[in-house]
Amino acid sequence: MTDTIAEGVTVSRTGETGAFGGELLTVNFGPHHPSTHGVLRLIVDLDGEQVRSLKPVIGYLHTGIEKQMEALRWQQGVTVTDRHDYLSPPINNLAYALAVEKLMGVVVPPRADALRVIMSELTRLSSHLVWMGTSGLELGAMSMLMYCFRERDTILDMNEEISGFRMHTSYIRPGGVMADATPRFLEMLDRFIHDMPGHVDEYENLLTNNPIWRSRTIGIGHLSAEDATVLGATGPMLRGSGVPWDLRRSMPYSGYESYDFEIATSDLCDCYGRYLVRIKEMRESVKILRQALDRLPDGPVNVDDRKMLPPPREELETSMEAVIHHFKLFTEGYSVPPGDVYVAVESGRGENGCYVVSDGTHKPRRVKFRSASFVNLQALERMALNHMVADMVAIIGTADTVLGDCDR
Amino acid sequence: MISEGLIVEQGVSAGDRWVTVEAGAIREALSALKSDGYTVLAFLTCVDHLDDSSRQWPARYEVVYQLRNQEKPEQIRVRAFVDGDPPHIDSVHDLFPPANWEERETYDMFGIVFSDHPDLSRILMPDDWVGHPLRRDYPVGGEPVEFSEEHELWQTAPEKA
Repeated sequence: MTDTIAEGVTVSRTGETGAFGGELLTVNFGPHHPSTHGVLRLIVDLDGEQVRSLKPVIGYLHTGIEKQMEALRWQQGVTVTDRHDYLSPPINNLAYALAVEKLMGVVVPPRADALRVIMSELTRLSSHLVWMGTSGLELGAMSMLMYCFRERDTILDMNEEISGFRMHTSYIRPGGVMADATPRFLEMLDRFIHDMPGHVDEYENLLTNNPIWRSRTIGIGHLSAEDATVLGATGPMLRGSGVPWDLRRSMPYSGYESYDFEIATSDLCDCYGRYLVRIKEMRESVKILRQALDRLPDGPVNVDDRKMLPPPREELETSMEAVIHHFKLFTEGYSVPPGDVYVAVESGRGENGCYVVSDGTHKPRRVKFRSASFVNLQALERMALNHMVADMVAIIGTADTVLGDCDR
Repeated sequence: MISEGLIVEQGVSAGDRWVTVEAGAIREALSALKSDGYTVLAFLTCVDHLDDSSRQWPARYEVVYQLRNQEKPEQIRVRAFVDGDPPHIDSVHDLFPPANWEERETYDMFGIVFSDHPDLSRILMPDDWVGHPLRRDYPVGGEPVEFSEEHELWQTAPEKA
């Protein structure tokens, strides 16, 4: 029996007969199952141990973020963007900030762009580290979690140093960034860039040739390049199927076109391929960080526009105009010219987009987050069919969905 | 390319190319663009223009499709305006598979009914939820804010919701 999941994507729902002679058993997997990466619920039809149909049920982490954005002023919205994809807050900030800036026709100074790239790459690293730690844990490599969270903690320390916050940094804002990098941050970053390639080698020692890891991931969750494209997958899901599509290269933003890095792809099209892509991406991120740090330009980190960003504290004591600007910004906020814009950036999971509509007032008319997890999850059934239940855990793991991102 | 007859209006907004088509011709327009190389649907959503005085809107709901040609790469935004209770538009889930969930989300949040969708049910809100939360007349929290300078119509709970 074949079934069409989507145009051009057909699946077979028959395989060797399972232990119960073809009788299907419907099982609820999640939403509280520890290996569903959050609160994902899957309704699976099982023939013995084999998956014959799989229906993801989402919405358990819906927090109404898009609705909240409409009730907040433009600059207040940044704090909310942090919280949808909670493993990559600065990248979410960046998508929103770029969208607002594009609508207002604002160009940020070069130092702000470089700091944004640094924070994006640190975030990508920390997001991949969480992925590798938890996926390793689920597939039996328990020590991975300890190793990965050790480095992630260094990144969180850096977040704290530069923005005062460990996770939801709100560091990247429309008009620039929250504050300039401190000398201590640059020192920490330098040390981190020096140490990180060695740590990635360490992870590879633990997993890449590990027979258990290989047998749990190789050939599991096959997703061909055509299927991945048709189903709209992005990020490591798409590159793990051999399609070299990376927004940092294909539609560059924040000066990514000037950095020298390779797009990680793998032709294996399975869980192991997606693992290799993420490992390679971590190495490339370190390369980008090194380049960004070496040629970090001097200068301001914010646009010089008093109608958009508050004046520096010391100006308030001497200038009446500064006080007026400060008062206006914190009571009413700024208005964005009417229009709409879509900006997409590459997060650790894929295309993280922000569609912003302004009606000319001091609050957005509509903010839509195009989240990679939401779209990537639709490819789950294609990957998991006719695999064992235990393999489903590997497949969910390497799809790397963040349910906060998915449900928003 | 979309035939001239289908295009109602077109332009560029903050560097993004867009085109408005008749809601009834949305499938025709999108399949024309798809055969033209715009094979990826980046996202699909809706904008509620209730009490939006920034310009004259042909209808209250604007359904937005962002398409991408990954070869070039180029993007185009297709808009269609719909009205009615409930507003209807044709589903495009068979042209662009990711639209399946996006249409369910748009139905859930705005109450736009996508005709011929295989399973048009709520996706983010619970199945027994009343109302469509992202409509502008659906309140945040549901409590009217007294003495607020920013009190707007949509902050007051509608009688039915």
